[in-house]
Amino acid sequence: MKPENPLLALLALTAGVLFLSPVLYSIWMSFQTADAYYTGKLDFTLSNYEMAIGQYNFARYLLNSVIVSGLVTIVGLAVATMAAFAFARYRFPGGNLMFGAVVATLMIPSHITLIPNYLTLANAGLLDTYAGLILPAISNGFAAFFLRQYIRGIPRALDEAAYMDGATPLQVLWRVIVPIAKPAILSMGLYIFITEWNNYIWPLVAVGREDLYTLQIGLARLYRIDPGEGVINWPLVMAASTITILPVLLGFIFVERHLVRGIMMGAVK
Amino acid sequence: MSAITLKDIRKSYDDGPQVLHGVSMDIGDGEFIVIVGPSGCGKSTLLRLLAGLDPCKEGELLIDGRRANDLPPQDRDIAMIFQNYALYPHMTVLENIAFGLELRKVPKIERIARARDVAETLQLTPYLDRKPGALSGGQRQRVAMGRAMARNSSTFLMDEPLSNLDNSLRVAMRTEIKDLHRQLGATIVYVTHDQTEALSLADRVAVMKDGHLQQFDTPDVIYDQPANRFVAGFLGAPAMNFVSAEQLGGWDAPLDVEIGFRPEALTLHHARPAQPAIEARVALTEMTGSAFILHCDSPGGRMCAVVPRGEALPVEGDQIWLALEPSQALCFDPVTGVRLDMPQTSPDQCRAVLARGAA
Ligand SMILES: Nc1ncnc2c1ncn2[C@@H]1O[C@H](COP(=O)(O)OP(=O)(O)OP(=O)(O)O)[C@@H](O)[C@H]1O
Ligand SMILES: [Mg+2]
Repeated sequence: MKPENPLLALLALTAGVLFLSPVLYSIWMSFQTADAYYTGKLDFTLSNYEMAIGQYNFARYLLNSVIVSGLVTIVGLAVATMAAFAFARYRFPGGNLMFGAVVATLMIPSHITLIPNYLTLANAGLLDTYAGLILPAISNGFAAFFLRQYIRGIPRALDEAAYMDGATPLQVLWRVIVPIAKPAILSMGLYIFITEWNNYIWPLVAVGREDLYTLQIGLARLYRIDPGEGVINWPLVMAASTITILPVLLGFIFVERHLVRGIMMGAVK
Repeated sequence: MSAITLKDIRKSYDDGPQVLHGVSMDIGDGEFIVIVGPSGCGKSTLLRLLAGLDPCKEGELLIDGRRANDLPPQDRDIAMIFQNYALYPHMTVLENIAFGLELRKVPKIERIARARDVAETLQLTPYLDRKPGALSGGQRQRVAMGRAMARNSSTFLMDEPLSNLDNSLRVAMRTEIKDLHRQLGATIVYVTHDQTEALSLADRVAVMKDGHLQQFDTPDVIYDQPANRFVAGFLGAPAMNFVSAEQLGGWDAPLDVEIGFRPEALTLHHARPAQPAIEARVALTEMTGSAFILHCDSPGGRMCAVVPRGEALPVEGDQIWLALEPSQALCFDPVTGVRLDMPQTSPDQCRAVLARGAA
């Protein structure tokens, strides 16, 4: 693709630099020693990464974050897609009421559900477990709502054609609806993943054991660890931050390609 | 192979008025049935009941003599071709055709061979790897056809399958469908609101109006002996002319019946003829290729006549007479629209019947 309008290209370039520069700066900073950083010398070291992984257990936090966000995304998408299919295609007693309830959850701030969720999980004995981190996040009202709207836009005749071809409702969902709704489902997946990856408050509340910390909790703890002279060790924080954003960035680049392809496929009808 | 029987089928949608008011039909094994009727008369509704896509709660639906009201679509051995084809946009042509076989667990090698065979018949082989989005309307139509054919169903339901095609393609596909019917020997129920399609394809035509079945018979009978004024007016192009008997000059028939005659039954005279004739003024002439259509204003209203090419044509505004052979006229009750039976032999008998109809 060649830029059609040089002005637009310039604008995009400026925006790109603006968005990228803090990220690049923090990545650059993560390779400096604390001494070099505070004295303004230039240096290159991997010691911050070694410290984050060796001393502060960030490999474990990364694994936890991948497990939690990954499962929340996969299970959450499955739940939301099936709910969306049911809401879009079936009329059942109480269906509208249930859909209204789903939409209503969008208007409730998560802080209001924080304590009830905490008490529920505490009663179930699920605090300090992966399940405790994952379960509250898998029912995502917004995803169900968004996908329902998308599925309603898919002609019902396609479902009917599949039923005539001998499909069961689950086959219709899996073989016809899901492939067609793939762009929407992938976007939702990305959204759920990023939201969960960045989730701070719930893991903070639900988990006390250090080996169940997610990246965000681990990162926050770095601020509280005094490096010695009463100052924050910024290069260490930046190394940990880089570990935190890198998987999301890679994930986005991977999914984005699919998204574009999916959207192009959907456009041809 | 299967025979279908409908007994007094009624249907209302949840939040609407009744759409079907007791439709009964016997469809024989291997028959080609065409359902025609104006838009909104319930044709698609009827087809969806046959397919099992909508529940059939009132009346009885028998397939091969067994009650099928509650049979889900996948157990009916019926294939359906939708008006807008409903091809799966994410699958290639081959996958579209083979999907039904895949769902029925036909082994991969076998289903691909079968799908290729079908594609060959429909001349789709060059497009097997394309997605439906990259096909022309006619090609999509054939894929939809192929999808239905691959499964070897005993019955095909087609809801206006040709309505999205341009005219020449429609005519070509019409012959292809007819050929297919001959090859497959399957029962076909075909919905259209194009009356030419109905008459040219059908073994028997079912004419519907407002959820009522008006007549169900062979194209010949439907055309020559329509059950009522609606059927008479709906089939045939240009449409049948209707006048009330009193306006028909030279026909000293008793009044109070409506007379219908096809435009082809009129002969053109430049002076008053001896037989019953209508005096009219030419408003418009239209050339169809093999003939001319005269649109005339008569005391009975606008009227059409078909004049073969080569005859001396009147020009617009000319005074003419349109003569009618009484044996080609049909009489209808002016109130109910029902056709009054009359032996079509002599004008005398016609007059007698007209007298009876008036009585
Ligand atoms: N899902 C529905 N809910 C309520 N009413 C409906 C529904 N589908 C169809 N109808 C009504 O039923 C009547 C018959 O519709 P149907 O689709 O069977 O007509 P049709 O004969 O196929 O017409 P066309 O030639 O335009 O396709 C119409 O008046 C329509 O408004
Ligand atoms: Mg219809």
